[in-house]
Amino acid sequence: MRRYLTRQLVQLVVVILGISLLAFTILHVLGDPVLLLLPQNAGKEEFERYRHLLGLDQPLYVQYWKFLSRAVLGDFGKSWYADTPAFRLVVERMPPTIYLTFAGLLVALLIALPLGILAALRRHSWVDSLCTAVAVAGQATPLFWLGIMLIIVFAVRLKVLPASGYGTWQHFLLPSFCLGAALAPITMRLVRSGVIEVMNMEFIKTARAKGVAEPMVVVKHAFRNACIPVITVLGLQFGQLLGGAIITETVFAWPGVATLTVESIRNQDFPVVQCAVVMLALVIVVVNLLVDVAVAMIDPRIRAGA
Amino acid sequence: MKAVSAETKVELGELGEARIEAPGQHQATVRRLLRLRWGLGAAAILLLIVLSAVLAPVIAPHDPLAVNIRHRLAPPAWMDGGSAQHLLGTDQVGRDLLSRMIYGGRVSLVVGVAAVILSATIGVLLGLGAGYFGGRTDWLIMTGVNVMLTFPFVLLALAVIAVLGPSLINMIIVLGVAGWPIYARVVRAETMAIREREFVLAGRALGMSHARIVFRQIAPNLVSAIVVIATLQVAQVIILESFLSFLGLGIQPPTPAWGNMLGEGRVYMLNSWWIATFPGLAIFVTTLVINLMGNSLRDWLDPHMKL
Amino acid sequence: MGRAVALGFAWLLGLALLPPADAGAQTKDDTVVYAIQSDMQNWDPPNSVLRESIILGYHVFDHLAARDLKTGKVAPALALSWKNLDETTWEVKLRPNVKFHDGSKFSAKDVKASFDRVLNPENKLTARGNHTKIKSVEIVDDLTVRFKTDGAYPLFVERLSALVMQSEKAIKEKGHEWMQENPVGTGPYKLVKWNKKQDHLMVRNDDYWGPKPAFKYVRVRIIPEQATQIAELMSGGVDVIKAVPPDQMDVINKSGQARTSTSPILRTAFLQLDQAGRTGKNPFQDKRVRQAANLAVDIDGIIKHVLNGLGDRTATVINPMAFGFDPNVKPYKQDAAAAKKLLADAGYPSGFEVGFLTTAPIVEPALPQTSEAISADLAKVGIKTKKRYVGEVGPYVNLVRDSKADPMFEWSWGYYSIFDADAILYDVMRCTEPYAYYCNKALDDLIIQGRSTLDQKKRAEVYAQAQKLLLDDAAYLYKWGLRGVWGISNRIDYEAPRDEIDRMFLATPRKK
Repeated sequence: MRRYLTRQLVQLVVVILGISLLAFTILHVLGDPVLLLLPQNAGKEEFERYRHLLGLDQPLYVQYWKFLSRAVLGDFGKSWYADTPAFRLVVERMPPTIYLTFAGLLVALLIALPLGILAALRRHSWVDSLCTAVAVAGQATPLFWLGIMLIIVFAVRLKVLPASGYGTWQHFLLPSFCLGAALAPITMRLVRSGVIEVMNMEFIKTARAKGVAEPMVVVKHAFRNACIPVITVLGLQFGQLLGGAIITETVFAWPGVATLTVESIRNQDFPVVQCAVVMLALVIVVVNLLVDVAVAMIDPRIRAGA
Repeated sequence: MKAVSAETKVELGELGEARIEAPGQHQATVRRLLRLRWGLGAAAILLLIVLSAVLAPVIAPHDPLAVNIRHRLAPPAWMDGGSAQHLLGTDQVGRDLLSRMIYGGRVSLVVGVAAVILSATIGVLLGLGAGYFGGRTDWLIMTGVNVMLTFPFVLLALAVIAVLGPSLINMIIVLGVAGWPIYARVVRAETMAIREREFVLAGRALGMSHARIVFRQIAPNLVSAIVVIATLQVAQVIILESFLSFLGLGIQPPTPAWGNMLGEGRVYMLNSWWIATFPGLAIFVTTLVINLMGNSLRDWLDPHMKL
Repeated sequence: MGRAVALGFAWLLGLALLPPADAGAQTKDDTVVYAIQSDMQNWDPPNSVLRESIILGYHVFDHLAARDLKTGKVAPALALSWKNLDETTWEVKLRPNVKFHDGSKFSAKDVKASFDRVLNPENKLTARGNHTKIKSVEIVDDLTVRFKTDGAYPLFVERLSALVMQSEKAIKEKGHEWMQENPVGTGPYKLVKWNKKQDHLMVRNDDYWGPKPAFKYVRVRIIPEQATQIAELMSGGVDVIKAVPPDQMDVINKSGQARTSTSPILRTAFLQLDQAGRTGKNPFQDKRVRQAANLAVDIDGIIKHVLNGLGDRTATVINPMAFGFDPNVKPYKQDAAAAKKLLADAGYPSGFEVGFLTTAPIVEPALPQTSEAISADLAKVGIKTKKRYVGEVGPYVNLVRDSKADPMFEWSWGYYSIFDADAILYDVMRCTEPYAYYCNKALDDLIIQGRSTLDQKKRAEVYAQAQKLLLDDAAYLYKWGLRGVWGISNRIDYEAPRDEIDRMFLATPRKK
């Protein structure tokens, strides 16, 4: 178990380093920060001076090392647009994104779990086909389209929910439903297949043979074990969830990290983009680690073995 | 029957459902045939879409770029104020919506197919390398896969395009380069499993070169998996492309693309709703049929494949 | 073990569902909500070029003089009267018994401190360029200030409305950094909270010297997307939005929840053509090509069909509301044949392709549609445009400033709300100014003449000449003076401001 955890931790560090390298490369190699920073009619010497000031005239690996060493201490530089430390901006906007992501996950589970189990138990029936059909249709619906429709129906026409913004629990309903509904189809299909696989396994047949009541079989044995692949995949899906959160945040003007990043990209405010990318990666990786740990604790195969 | 590695299962599960069939059940065959019917229907619709995109210059009633401000915001033909001249109405500068939809399909399909071909090529090659050679190569490539899969690819795409600038080529490159991890993972797992099989060992004993073994012996076994993944990924790329265009970071107006038409039409949803609705429907239908077709392909190519 | 994990997850999820509910202390009835598209970078108006800074600055600060919306003229605010003692000296008498939000009294020392701060080149404040004609500010007594100008400064009075009065105490004791987030003014509202890029909350200043605002709180929400702003207006989440696209006016008016209000505003739109060659060699350096461009486009048709009539055709860049506007200068009439002939004469019988830099409709409504229509007309005479889109105001303006625009690009000018021809000619048409892509010595001479005398009649003549020159030389592709469109909730009474500066302190609740 400890070896498993250590391995995962090492992977975590490696992945974070990889992401930071990726972010750094994209922003420094592909763009020129100095051109954006300089005020009116700056002459050539100003350009050179700024380049030197920002350390942009040094070889790339030196720059990367400097970036890394500062980043570890939480110093991602100052936002070029707002003159506050990039780290502070990103951290301030993290909570709304995290809340939205978890709320979306909850909604997805609320929809997907019952439907997935139902479809698995009533395999090959019309219930199953219907659920699958809805899932396939759901997967084809563009997320931003769904968000716009929800706003029009619930905010503009019916006036029961706010159209955008953040602050009360009502503000949460539409965005989290949108995000959850977008993730539900694939989650449902995974739950379904997970339950089916488990239901076919030996120990279920044993339980049935022993005369255990069917509901007990489902809940106690099947479900518990179906959790493993579902949780694993959900953990992997967290990155996708965050991707969906980006789209949702844009449509609902949600004050999270995603909208901050999109804005910063548009304003070419690179320190903030860099910081956001690395911080988001950190969150995802930590969540993945937690999921791995949770799965390791549930799944006896891992506990015993690796 | 060999067990497909857990990773592969999960991998393909991400694209659709992980199907576990106990062999020999009568219901399974029936279900397979039913599924195939859906898939064939979907394929037929997809063919229609592809044909209309290819034949766009022939079947589009108007020039998609022809601005006519005196006829702007005309509703579809069946509504008050609509005319047969513009079956689906006109947009905010008077361009015919139907023509723009047809041409927009071209963009979506081209980007989808090109990006997926790029992803598949990169991913399969890297996956083969990782699976076959193992060791350091494997570690390096798998770390790359983990890094890229961890990260919400949308954000990466945004950042790169913001720096490089929006254009068709850049989109294809970005979407293509970001899509390879999934192929690499699957191919690697399968390669590793196959590489210990007898005919491969025999080949090595006979002194076949690595390249020959990889491409002649191992790769053919992967084709089904790759085709299925590729098909389903086209749908994903189309949705992603439309999102980027919707944000203004993809295909630029006035070139018609379903995504940017949706974006431009968004503010008109409450009065001239047709401008955004029809492109949205187009994205939905296209994605739907591709998904259905992909699912059927998977069932048909190897229904007992524990994908 | 599994149960523990499950419980753990449930707990985490539950925790996630209890976000801090920041419902705010104010109820709907005492709050008016105003939406803007992008947030300011700081609460220090002299240190910002954004219109949002000017607008919000009006709420928390006062100026020496302010525009009276009814008469359109600059009227006393913190200054009670002004007169010029000679060509280069102005004496201003201040209003007594005015207090800053921190309790300190407003007097001449604050005026001097505010002006000195802006004028000091070391402070690098962005508003400095507007006030460089002021050489010095002298305190005569607590309520009297004397300004010395560098030569005759006819815009002195107008520009009194362009600088907010800040507290000397804050400037000296707290310093620049602190002032970026903590505005200390004398205005009708005080800043309570600023959630960057999200919203601002202001509370009424009950010690205000002027008329008390009807609403106790003002909440300013930052909502970048127009579609979302309209949705919010129609669902009751926002009371005032601006720059409503003309196409959406009927939706708002039919909703029963809100209405639209329009007003001609000072902002004038046009397409800059790179006559000065700042982006390199290009066809627009030839006068005939520029004239052809102007002749090719059906501007009246675009105003009628795309803007639904909400635009006032301008012959040049001078707005009908600005001093110096000459109605005798008539705009170009569309003539595609003449345009083609001019192009052929200039050496482009089959036209040419040219880059066209475009941006988002943040200050100019329906910009993408009008530019599309213009491009289509240009294409008909052979001028094919290749569009380049930069959606954010900041980067767009930087590109223009750094000579990185395209030979043709979208531009509009708000005159800094100064109703005078000089307020556009100097910044946008004078050779070597950062935002001017036109270079003509004859025009520059006229510009200098216009700002060097206090004789309004003489100035009017100079500007009439300037407009003839601008028209004949087809300096730019002229469009129109904008009509601002505001969306206003039916629960408040509020009128569209013709100087584009929204004043929430003038909004009152509608009687039911």
